[in-house]
Amino acid sequence: MKRQFADNELDTSLSRVDGNEKVSGAATYSAEYAVPGLVHAVLVTSNIAKGSITAIESREAETAPGVLAVISHLNAPAVPGWPALKQPAERAPVGTAFRVFYDAFIYFDGQPVAMVVADTQERAIHAAALVRVTYQQETHQTHFERNVKSAGIPQNVQRSKNSPFQDYGRGDADAIAEAEVRIEAEYTIPTQHHQPLEPHAIIAVWEANDKLTVYDKNQGVKSAQGQLAQAFKLPRDNVQVVSKYIGGAFGSGIRVWPHTIAAVMAAKQVKRPVKLVLGRDQMFTSVGYRPYTAQKLRIGASKDGRLHAMVHEGTGQTSMYEEHLERTVLATRAMYTCPNVSTRYRLLPLDVNTPTWMRGPGDATGMFALESAMDELAFALKMDPLEFRLKNYAETDPERNLPWSAKSLRECYKLGAEKFGWENRQIEPASIRRKGMLVGYGMASSLYGFHRHPSKARAVMRADGSVTVQSATMDIGPGTGTAMTRIAAKVLGLNAKKVKFELGHSNLPDAPGQNGSATIPSVGSAVHVACEALKSKLIALAVKMSEAGKSGGQVVVTDGQGVRNGRVFGSGADDEGVSFADILKYHKLNELEATEESKPGPERDQYSMFSFGCHFVEVHVNPLTGEVRVVRVVTCADVGAIINYKTARSQSIGGVVGGIGMALMEHSEMDHRFGRYVTTDFASYHIPVHADIPPIEVYYVDKPDVHVNPMGSKGLGEIAIVGVAGAVANAVFNATGKRIRTLPITPDKLI
Amino acid sequence: MANDQTNASPDASNEDRRFFLKQSIAIAGLSAVPTGLLQAALEPDDGPVGNAVKIQLSLTINGKRKRISVDPRMSLLDLLRENLGLTGIKKGCDFGQCGACTVHIDGRRTLSCLTFAVMQHGRKVTTIEGLSHGGQLHPLQEAFIKHDGFQCGYCTPGQLMSGIACIREGYADSPDEVREYMSGNLCRCGAYPNIVDAILEVKKEGLKV
Amino acid sequence: MKPFQYLRPKTVSEAVSMALDNPEAQYIAGGTNLIDLMKRGIASPPKLIDINHLPLKKIEHRYDRIRIGALALNSDVAQHKLVKTRQPLLAEALLAGASGQIRNMATVGGNLLQRTRCSYFYDVALPCNKRKPGSGCGAEGGINRTHAIFFNGSEVPSCIAVHPSDMCVALAALDTSVVVAGPAGERRILFKDLHRLSTKEPEMDTTLNPGELITSIEVLDNAFTGHSHYLKVRDRASYAFALVSVAAALQMDGGKIWDARLALGGVAHKPWRYWAIELMLRGQPPSEKLFREVAEHELQSARAGEHNAYKIKLTANAMIAALKIAAGIS
Repeated sequence: MKRQFADNELDTSLSRVDGNEKVSGAATYSAEYAVPGLVHAVLVTSNIAKGSITAIESREAETAPGVLAVISHLNAPAVPGWPALKQPAERAPVGTAFRVFYDAFIYFDGQPVAMVVADTQERAIHAAALVRVTYQQETHQTHFERNVKSAGIPQNVQRSKNSPFQDYGRGDADAIAEAEVRIEAEYTIPTQHHQPLEPHAIIAVWEANDKLTVYDKNQGVKSAQGQLAQAFKLPRDNVQVVSKYIGGAFGSGIRVWPHTIAAVMAAKQVKRPVKLVLGRDQMFTSVGYRPYTAQKLRIGASKDGRLHAMVHEGTGQTSMYEEHLERTVLATRAMYTCPNVSTRYRLLPLDVNTPTWMRGPGDATGMFALESAMDELAFALKMDPLEFRLKNYAETDPERNLPWSAKSLRECYKLGAEKFGWENRQIEPASIRRKGMLVGYGMASSLYGFHRHPSKARAVMRADGSVTVQSATMDIGPGTGTAMTRIAAKVLGLNAKKVKFELGHSNLPDAPGQNGSATIPSVGSAVHVACEALKSKLIALAVKMSEAGKSGGQVVVTDGQGVRNGRVFGSGADDEGVSFADILKYHKLNELEATEESKPGPERDQYSMFSFGCHFVEVHVNPLTGEVRVVRVVTCADVGAIINYKTARSQSIGGVVGGIGMALMEHSEMDHRFGRYVTTDFASYHIPVHADIPPIEVYYVDKPDVHVNPMGSKGLGEIAIVGVAGAVANAVFNATGKRIRTLPITPDKLI
Repeated sequence: MANDQTNASPDASNEDRRFFLKQSIAIAGLSAVPTGLLQAALEPDDGPVGNAVKIQLSLTINGKRKRISVDPRMSLLDLLRENLGLTGIKKGCDFGQCGACTVHIDGRRTLSCLTFAVMQHGRKVTTIEGLSHGGQLHPLQEAFIKHDGFQCGYCTPGQLMSGIACIREGYADSPDEVREYMSGNLCRCGAYPNIVDAILEVKKEGLKV
Repeated sequence: MKPFQYLRPKTVSEAVSMALDNPEAQYIAGGTNLIDLMKRGIASPPKLIDINHLPLKKIEHRYDRIRIGALALNSDVAQHKLVKTRQPLLAEALLAGASGQIRNMATVGGNLLQRTRCSYFYDVALPCNKRKPGSGCGAEGGINRTHAIFFNGSEVPSCIAVHPSDMCVALAALDTSVVVAGPAGERRILFKDLHRLSTKEPEMDTTLNPGELITSIEVLDNAFTGHSHYLKVRDRASYAFALVSVAAALQMDGGKIWDARLALGGVAHKPWRYWAIELMLRGQPPSEKLFREVAEHELQSARAGEHNAYKIKLTANAMIAALKIAAGIS
């Protein structure tokens, strides 16, 4: 296949198509729509983790200036899509999404228990502080280690024999005991939060009794439309969801969360458009998180470094009312060649809110453990960790026994090692010092499964030959519009300036939400086929025009060879082609449209499809203070063809930054006496700042994967972060000789 | 950005001072309270009336003089975003911990979430909306686009306001210096290296900021 | 946030008399801490006295000291030539704190009165003796990774929070006095006497009397220039409060330490001046061995909780690191 998107130079890449709006403050995010008559809502949340509400004293709040309503389970408008309350009241069974203002039960600290609506934000905030809620408290369990014995097989998995989360084994389960060299270690990642810079926000507008528009921060307008229509029993088309600009999400916007429903309820109650913006502290209990996860790995190899057995057990936390499952142990089955592998995944329900997918869900967690363990075993073998990985390189998928659709991880390793200068690494830890700092090198591999979903796109050419492409996809930051513009421009042979891409509105053609690195594979494919269809129509029209001799006399487009620079060309060498605009003009068309759907096919059963990559990290550790600074990163990915180098590179850099945060500082700490987080702001929940982030070099193998989709391109969002934390931890070991198995790696753990 | 580089002392212009005095006197006369007590002046046209008192103030925002009456509890950020429709500047945390709300007050970078609007009486405020002139982007805005110094775009206005200040303050001479002096602006997408490149380039080219 | 009356005095005496009218009134300058507290319902002053228009911004050298007006901005102080040349330790500490934006807002007077950043103090749903006397110390049996290790002798503290300021650690190490205006006129407070330890009344951070307004600070000239260092250890590279910080200043001559100053941040309810170590260093030639001996010897008085035992070693190490840099030995 031709490397049609192989522009590996920044200057031939497109700058973001929405760059102007974003740098000038003109981009409008969910809370920023100027809706007439808007009023403000503020949530009151529980400060106990388990129990039930016995009373809500709201009179003082209700009579405070400007207050329109205080809404709680006592007076909330019914959500018709929810079942009627049972008598006597019962706690929700496992598998029930939390229903806001539904009954008196408290399931987690920070749960919305009331909502104040007032004419101004200041008055709403003040009145919210006047609401007094009393509870009947029950003993809660939020402590992972103290409860880990209660972890079990998820009900979801018990019900489904084909669940990928079933216990897995290949080869001999006891083989680990015979391995010549083996290690056994436990790894923990604490709860970590997405915390996009834009807090979740919604403006809910009832346009009529049965017509709802929401400007909502989410990662899937179509899915939000469906869920809201279902909850409020409205025809799907009567609900419109607008999310054109999303200030980051990283997974926190995949679901429709309780606060969204609450705002819609409130708008119904007060008969005014309602704006609700979550406080930064509320962002810790309202929109999910990466779950606390404990893992145990036992891996062994022969003395010459061939993996003999791997046993990977992982337990993640979830809420009492829902099961959130992650791919924590799954990568271990496919990453390396190893004859004997077993994995086990368990869930521990606690009195907390439900976790959700956070960038590289499961894999970022699991690969931290696996790649740390690989480093530990390489050290035990006195082998270079990269050489150890190459020695166990999986040429085919060892789990499914299928060929890879494409895999260039070996090239990634080579490229990364070369650019990084991996040969300068010393196997012996703490052997390099520079300016008083301990210097360490670490690396890790990365993988992420390929996802592609059915998606539609519409391409419309206007009389001037410019094209608008539409799809109800999203851009939470990667530059969806830019990539789609590039695909459309390439297919149609148009200057990108002549292409406009529209997204983020539920009235556009169906597209999946933005998650699982699936946007380019899914929506990109739809854009590709829609533009191909439009191109075919253009060529057919051009041929007709040519046959009638009306293409300007000198042009003969008989076989419609292709398109270039906004013109259709035939096969003749001196063919000057005919412009798109002339084609439409000749046929008296104001516009020409093509809508197509693109779906994955049987290739999914013939090949195993993954993105791969690797990260190389240099850290400096202050031997006296234990402070770790990442001073250099080289990241290399094999994700098929790169669509737009500039934005792809940024996404890779962003993943590394997220991984550095995960490795070195992110930690949502809870006081279990209260079941309440004590790190609920940016001063105590640390994410990386400028000073934490060194130059990050990004490289791609950039070979199309011909089996995955028309562009040969796989997703990049997740693979960018998967493995980074392991690479950092491995570099810290190389610098200090200290193996930190519980993230984050803060100074207290190193002195 | 000439209008942003005026001297840093508050109430600098005589016009502002006159307005301020006039207001003080008017209030004192009206309610017979000590000078300086600015609680008064209930605005009849302020929509739903509660018992909160509104205070009048005068501000120059992006070069335009404005007289506004506000609830004294209103932050400068909320005044800009909620009342004046200047939503370019962002609310990320509302507690001075992320930098998304950065504006220039009398030419200096400031967190608009950590100051009450009433405290800014007489000052000159520049927001992201005030950076470009006649459709011409500021050089740092151009550099952000060129270097892809953003992804989701939410921290971007704050990064830009802070980046411009960083150059003006003379803290953009090395990558490490920029990183340190830009550390008050969080970016969750991780655009940091590109932001640093953009700032260094504008500084190096000696463009007027 | 509760409604409040907003006042804007023009003179110091007008400000003081406004404050005396109502014991719950509060002065506001930069607002970078007070507004934060008001938004969270931790401070609810019925009267807010905006002192930004008082003439208290001047930075000048008089006789044997630098006088810095209480309203001088942290960034202006850090960049001021007088401060950079005569009190580089102070400039360094200021620049280690907060961010470019906050330093442009925060004043010297406000920085002195910064309240603790303890999570329990900031969350009105949790117990905190400082916020609500008698409600208990949440951190004591809770998450106390960032909390204090030095207390008032062996007394049981009612609050284990730490003072968050960087500037104050440098001022504690230097000869600083705080000038305040009150109903009875002006008085000077030695820096060591400004902040309190937490034994009995943790809600009281300082020894200021009702209505008193800080008007300036004075820092005496010294011979530490060239041999001082502010070292801050934190969980990320910038824009984070200190886990431990050290202000170290030495007067060196002929290969010996003639005078030494050492103050610590992040370890106590107030900036912690380490007098004992200063005495032990005097007259000695500097060496890592000496620094380690004095640091470790003195830390025997430290007491840790469940999560902050690391701070004892970290404090010793940070002192060694800071003293080495101050002494110019590697």
